[in-house]
Amino acid sequence: MHEELTALAARLAALGEQPAPEPPDAVNEAMIRNWRQAMGDTRDWGDAAPPAMAQVWSMPGLVPSKGASAADDVLRVLNGDGFTGVVATNCEHVYDRPVRLGERLRATARFGSVVGPKRTAMGLGYFVTWYQSWYVGEERVAEMLFRVLKFQPVKRRPKGKPPLPAVGLDTEFFWDGARSGELRIQRCGECGELRHPPGPMCPACNSTKRDHLVARGRGTVYSYVVHHHPPVPGRTPPYVVALVELEEGPRIIGNVLGVDPSEVSVGMAVELDFERIDDEVTLPQWRPAGRPAPAPAPPPERVSDWPALELPLTPTFIISTALATRDFTPVHHDVALARAQGSADIFLNILTTMGLVQRYVLEHNPEADLAGMRVRLGAPAYAGDTLVLTGTREGDTVTVRGTVALGDHVNATVALR
Amino acid sequence: MTERTLSGRAAVAGIGATEFSKESGRSELQLAAEACLAAIRDAGLTPSDVDGLVTFSADVNTEIAVARETGMGELRFFSRVEYGGGAACGTVAHAAMAVATGQAEAVVCYRAFNERSGHRFGQANASTRGATAQGLEFSWHLPYGLATPAAWVAMSARRYMHAYGATSEDFGRVAVAMRRHAATNPAAWFYERPISLAEHQESRWIVDPLHLLDCCQESDGGVALLVTTAERARDLPHRPAVISAAAQGTGREQYMMFGYYGDDDLTTLPAMGVVADRLWRDSGLGPQDVQTAILYDHFTPFVLYQLEELGFCGRGEARHFLADGGIEIDGRLPVNPHGGQLGEAYIHGMNGIAEAVRQIRGTAANQVPDVTNVLVTAGTGVPTSGLVLSGS
Repeated sequence: MHEELTALAARLAALGEQPAPEPPDAVNEAMIRNWRQAMGDTRDWGDAAPPAMAQVWSMPGLVPSKGASAADDVLRVLNGDGFTGVVATNCEHVYDRPVRLGERLRATARFGSVVGPKRTAMGLGYFVTWYQSWYVGEERVAEMLFRVLKFQPVKRRPKGKPPLPAVGLDTEFFWDGARSGELRIQRCGECGELRHPPGPMCPACNSTKRDHLVARGRGTVYSYVVHHHPPVPGRTPPYVVALVELEEGPRIIGNVLGVDPSEVSVGMAVELDFERIDDEVTLPQWRPAGRPAPAPAPPPERVSDWPALELPLTPTFIISTALATRDFTPVHHDVALARAQGSADIFLNILTTMGLVQRYVLEHNPEADLAGMRVRLGAPAYAGDTLVLTGTREGDTVTVRGTVALGDHVNATVALR
Repeated sequence: MTERTLSGRAAVAGIGATEFSKESGRSELQLAAEACLAAIRDAGLTPSDVDGLVTFSADVNTEIAVARETGMGELRFFSRVEYGGGAACGTVAHAAMAVATGQAEAVVCYRAFNERSGHRFGQANASTRGATAQGLEFSWHLPYGLATPAAWVAMSARRYMHAYGATSEDFGRVAVAMRRHAATNPAAWFYERPISLAEHQESRWIVDPLHLLDCCQESDGGVALLVTTAERARDLPHRPAVISAAAQGTGREQYMMFGYYGDDDLTTLPAMGVVADRLWRDSGLGPQDVQTAILYDHFTPFVLYQLEELGFCGRGEARHFLADGGIEIDGRLPVNPHGGQLGEAYIHGMNGIAEAVRQIRGTAANQVPDVTNVLVTAGTGVPTSGLVLSGS
């Protein structure tokens, strides 16, 4: 398959730019207004269109266009060989000049590359890159790079998921914390007594006022076991379960990850790690102190030159922005279908992510125009979540980060002019 | 009532059991009915003489179903005891309180299950079963694959080894002793199948530091005990096993097998300490006064803990106490002469109470000489219970 793929990629790349389906409408006020309302964009664009809309002009709408994307053949080969998973990883725009009301755009498509196979967090996969360009007459006005990872979905665990924790009113703060990268230890709101596992009433003073501290994430192994038998759902034996005594005092159960079981001992120093089980459950876990994290660490504190933009991702927001960008893919508006395909809910589409990054940058840099945006895509931004955008500027480069409960949704580098 | 004590007021007058197997081929209700009927007949009574039933919360056989099957007729007392194997001696305590206070005349305590051929407790718990108090307890442990009773005990055992220098071989000596006893008990599953310490050490890991042979077997079977007043028991066929003391207990910060938090240092069994205090106080006896002890042995390490908690030796000294056959039939304290749950059968501790009664009667397969008092304990690591049974 790899040879077939490489040969096909070479053939496609040699074709260079090919005509793509013609954008159905000229640059027009109605689509721009619709888009700006959905995005919450308040900038006065005069007779120009927001540059982040570049791809919107080519979107076919509810009726699919006949033309094929430059990468379709490659994607088909990959699907046929078990690389059925797909996740968008990058979207990059270059803006040569603003497009103006009444201009008719012409589009081209160009195959980029296929790189792989690579071992990724999602499984073994190939990165497939292609381009779209837009012209007015012979003058190029914008170009987009789009990259997806096509992967062989890993059988994540031999026998399903580990038993998920039951979550009650007295314990949800803990699991909420774990999901956002915090190990929370209950603290009595009256006497300050620390307690794990938590409960509704302080056994020391009987207060029901509750609070928590965020543990520093350091501890020692107080005791541990190495599980061999019988089989346990979601765990591959032999694995280590430890009772970790936190620096703060309380003890907590967790696995010691990234270590040979024979290297674990009572008294061993360990550091906090996190294991994401699914969209709802993240487990605080442990690894030997001083070793690099095998998994992405929880998000560090946000730094930003400007106030964070917090966008509650209501279903209305997700659906109206998807439609305003002429993206009718059902996962952006049909909850049942999104869930059937393995998502937690409907989620933000990429064209909207691009629009929101542009909005945030220009709100805080009103004098600037955009020369381009390079976006790295991460965790999905599901309905019910909140997207938080922050950013910093150095010279003509703005870095924007957008986070959701699952972690980073987007990291963007925006070039100003 | 002039004296507020249960001591000496009630006795076990009948014992009954099914065979112990890996596949009974019968319903759990049939096992319960058979065991109950055997205990009633052993006491020289008929089902209609029984007016009370006590079992484990974990037992699936309702009291009314057992009463219907055996033809007991009307019941005037029934209760259940919580917390898995920790219930065993608690059922006798409840029955004794009922007959001592006149709430009932004759109470049968029973436990029956197909624990090997049906639902096996030793398999991984795959669900936390909702946000109940117990579900939330499980939720701090099961998601990490700390999902079996062996693993829950192993977590404590590792710390005990660290604290006192105990080794896997020390645990193994418990298994060797139990299998030695079972080897000469025809009712035992492991009859005529003793093991060596080397075999223990070579058995595969279940949850390090526990080997396979540190873990009790899983069994199908039923056991029942008939409890009545001490006075009445004296008129029945067998020498009564008088209840000198009966106790239930929990530790200060008790969990179900997860005694890992707060002041617990993983080297003690606080619930058993509470039970021990009461047993010795109410019976007026001490460790030196029992000729044999039935110690709950689902996993070997907690036998060491119990020897310490009950005062047979000091903290951390159990490994010396049981060295050189110290808990074997001819040792300083014969423990589980029937072979315990490691050797005879795992009937959630009820078969151990029956053995204590036989030792009092002088009818045990491996009879300890001149038995006057026997200590019996129930499930460890959970809220538990205990008995002192006496021959006079």
